[in-house]
Amino acid sequence: MSNRCSIRMIGFVAVFALLFATHASAAPGKIVIGHPACLSGKYAKAGEQAIGGIKACVDWVNKVYGGVTVGGKKLPLEYKYYDCESKKEAVTSLISRLITVDKVDCIFAPYSSGLTLRGAPVAESHKMLYMDHGGANNKIFRQGFQYIVQTIGPASRYHEGTLDMIHKVDPHAKRVALAYEDSEFAKMVMAGAEEHAKKLGFKIVFKRTYPKGVTDLTPLLSALKAAKPDIVIGGGHFEDGQLFNRQMADLDINANALSLIAAATLPAFYKALTGMAEGVMGPSHWEYGVKYAPEEAKKVGLPWIGPSQDEFVNLFKKALGKDIIPDYHAAEAGAAVLALVMGIEKAGSVDSDKVRRALGDLEFMSFYGGWDVDDTGLQVGHSMVDVQWQGGKRVIVWPAEAQTGKLYYPMPTFAEKAKGKLAVPK
Amino acid sequence: MRADPTKYYPLIPVYVAYLAMFLIGSNMTGMWQLMAMLAFYCALGQAFNIFLGMTGYVDFGYVAFLGVGTYGMALGITKLAHVEELGIGIIIIGLALAVVMATLLSLAVGAVALRLRGAYFAIATIGVNEGFRYFIEGAKIWNGSEGMIFTAELNQIFGRETASALSTFWADVLVLIIAAAAAFVTLYYMKSKIGYALTALREDEDAAKVMGIHVTKYKIIAFITSAVFAGLLGASAWALKTPYVFPPEVFEIHYTVEAIIIVLLGGAGTLLGPLVGGLIYGLSKYYLSIVLPGFQLLIFAPIIILIIVFFPEGIVGMLKNRVKGTALEQYVL
Amino acid sequence: MILEQLIGNLIQGLVLGAIYGMATMGLSLIFGVLRVVNVGHGAFIMVGAFIAWWLFSALGVIPILAIPVALVIGLALGFIFYYSVLRRLIKAPELASLLATFSIGVLLEETAKLIFGSEFRGYNWAVGKITLPMTVLPMTKLYACLGSVLIAVLLYIWFNKTRAGTAMRSVVEDSEGAKVCGVNVEGVYAMSFALGIGLTVVSGVLLTMFIPVGINPYMGGPYTLKAFVIAVLGGLASPYGAFFGGLVFGLIENGSYTLFAFLPGVEPFALTRFFSCMMLLVILLIRPTGLLRAK
Repeated sequence: MSNRCSIRMIGFVAVFALLFATHASAAPGKIVIGHPACLSGKYAKAGEQAIGGIKACVDWVNKVYGGVTVGGKKLPLEYKYYDCESKKEAVTSLISRLITVDKVDCIFAPYSSGLTLRGAPVAESHKMLYMDHGGANNKIFRQGFQYIVQTIGPASRYHEGTLDMIHKVDPHAKRVALAYEDSEFAKMVMAGAEEHAKKLGFKIVFKRTYPKGVTDLTPLLSALKAAKPDIVIGGGHFEDGQLFNRQMADLDINANALSLIAAATLPAFYKALTGMAEGVMGPSHWEYGVKYAPEEAKKVGLPWIGPSQDEFVNLFKKALGKDIIPDYHAAEAGAAVLALVMGIEKAGSVDSDKVRRALGDLEFMSFYGGWDVDDTGLQVGHSMVDVQWQGGKRVIVWPAEAQTGKLYYPMPTFAEKAKGKLAVPK
Repeated sequence: MRADPTKYYPLIPVYVAYLAMFLIGSNMTGMWQLMAMLAFYCALGQAFNIFLGMTGYVDFGYVAFLGVGTYGMALGITKLAHVEELGIGIIIIGLALAVVMATLLSLAVGAVALRLRGAYFAIATIGVNEGFRYFIEGAKIWNGSEGMIFTAELNQIFGRETASALSTFWADVLVLIIAAAAAFVTLYYMKSKIGYALTALREDEDAAKVMGIHVTKYKIIAFITSAVFAGLLGASAWALKTPYVFPPEVFEIHYTVEAIIIVLLGGAGTLLGPLVGGLIYGLSKYYLSIVLPGFQLLIFAPIIILIIVFFPEGIVGMLKNRVKGTALEQYVL
Repeated sequence: MILEQLIGNLIQGLVLGAIYGMATMGLSLIFGVLRVVNVGHGAFIMVGAFIAWWLFSALGVIPILAIPVALVIGLALGFIFYYSVLRRLIKAPELASLLATFSIGVLLEETAKLIFGSEFRGYNWAVGKITLPMTVLPMTKLYACLGSVLIAVLLYIWFNKTRAGTAMRSVVEDSEGAKVCGVNVEGVYAMSFALGIGLTVVSGVLLTMFIPVGINPYMGGPYTLKAFVIAVLGGLASPYGAFFGGLVFGLIENGSYTLFAFLPGVEPFALTRFFSCMMLLVILLIRPTGLLRAK
């Protein structure tokens, strides 16, 4: 009897093995980027942007740039992605499939610090270059990973520019309120902001956090109101940023400046809040309107690569088939593609070790801005910009070299905004 | 009773499948991580099934045990990383901590929630899971919401090569072992007094009580066993494989739902069910994400509804009825 | 100063609590009649929120007028899911109905994502606000609160004065007995499920009047959890209990935050949630019939 069973089992195993029969491996003569993308699940929003950004830049490299030069030959780029559902179980298995079955030459990390960390050991074990475009936690780079390279800037620096700017335009504004989401990422932003604020001589009058998925911030904001801050900085993700601004309006809490990470720079933010978002600011890795261009690069002595900003936006729209403006998730993913191209060309090879070494020495500029990593792979060459909503438009107000308009300060009160006042400087 | 070897025949197909997974994974390129994912789902199902399958109680907060297991391993590694003599012993300490913490939590939950039945039990366990997570975040214990990242510690203890092999190979082997052990315990319970008592309980708890069966004792035994396996699974599939722990990720209720889906798909209360459920669930997820990225959940949800409505017994449940009376009967349980 | 804050927060809590209560009545009604816990509860709230958002931003219909639309859509969804899925699961073990309702929730979420995308949306219906010494209340919040109370009262009347309502109540109390007395239990089941879903969808509309931002396919999760706590507070099987449970919950949520904020080195919001989870356990243990009802 057990014979029959084992025959069955052998059959079962055979069917099993057939199911997994490997697909044709990637032919030589092209360079393949593999990406366990977050197309669904909790990071679907950022994931879609990242895919659009990568597709746009791959397109540009193939059609405009003419391919990646390796050993005298121009090789086209190819982009291969699967959906990891924003879940860690899928990340590892998909990365391993991309490396071993699809034979990709480089892995792009999924969105978020957690998922980036999940994939890192697998990429490391295959000695495969691992491009981090959506994991901002500084701690990733203190773990001793050797193949990880960051394009997004580290979390600790998100609010530094905002504070510098206010310090400059209004030296009398001293009272700062910090209210961030209680997550590994936002807490790191908060720690960086607190340190920087103290250095500049600001007084922290309020410092609290709220958990992920919060639905009502009223109690926190009532306490914030009582602290009478001049400047309010905080935030965490998308939904809490909208809630933050909206409930500040509902409770009539006015401050000279309000800056929120992640949410405030997105078009959906203004669409949801309309006039209430006037004058609200947010730091961003990249924003449509930044002035990075080949001339700029020449001025600071950096090589330039990649599409111009408008080209990028057009390619992005084409890649997604939707008429939306890319946000910084798209730009940083796209910039990672350009970094990869530069790295491969510099190394003269697609070998991950060599490309990683070349990326360590690389410094360049693209539509995304400066790009430079330190020994651990941490991004140090990219500075963030500060964006303010002025008359329904996003205006880059800081730093001076990237600026598209002047800062409107102080922010109009919510009562003024309700009457239709816009934060447009005269 | 123990002398009868046929009692353990149903384990043969289970172990053959796990062995096959190991062999496919280690011999075919690119298959290991997929097998690791399947092993995780199978192990999750096997462990969950010990309690749910035998008692019919739905523990919606089950993921909390995986969570504390993850914390157990994380705490062991981060707190003891400076003790150099430990070597591989640190993993054993971590696993032991995971077991202890899962046991303690299950005792606490058991004392409270197991007095409740049906939907009340399910809601209470959700409360425990969420409450525990918010306690960690709110009281800022174990680094609060910032969690812990400890690849650096693993590298420091084992060196880069070994640490990498630990995350990408040995953690998965451990998961397979846990799955196999859970299967063994499931069968052992089924064939012993506990199993009969719990079957009586599942059919009619009050009647079982009247018949003099010490219902609470057996319920708690099954509950703790199931929790301990979850703790081990968290320690290996999460803490070792992904050397970080963030509270919102390890207490995510979706994992409980996945466990329920797996068990229900395969057949609750069967030995083979979680294995079959885990394989089908994992494989279909994996291939859907490759073929139709972005639409898995949209496709999955109605399929699950259909299965609940039309095949409530699960695949193995149906198979069991099919093979009844044939020679295969003793292998399918 | 602190007292002022506390009172301000409690006022806000009471207003929000009325909406919470309204948002839980559907859950309790369904559990009371069908003994099914609707784990996909939050997804139906999401449907209501999208109805309010879409009607307002696409057609300029004010949220108050979205309520009847939401009710009709909710009833329709309720009947569809009852006859296609739930009907077959009433006698099945908990496991089946829990997983089925969860899957229905996922189905709704993913469908919403397919139609509207995963963008976070909001709308701005500006109708002024009232400034009290302790806090500021936008009129929309007040309308939402009054709307909730009104619906709860209407429901009370319906339960007590109409034939269908009394039949439903009799099933809650004793389904076998009701059957013997000639009540069409099957019809009551369908009606209750549909009504429960209808109320939940309506509550989604009301909720956006309190919090008009963050509308997206996955917004329902936190509300499912809150609804469980509230339902337990109110006795799980009683819609009015749920309404009062909501009021209590709103007060506790906002009040305890103000107090927890005094503890050094803690995260008061998370502790508030921890506290509500503990409350859930304690009440389930010592008073499973709910806080507000005698045994």
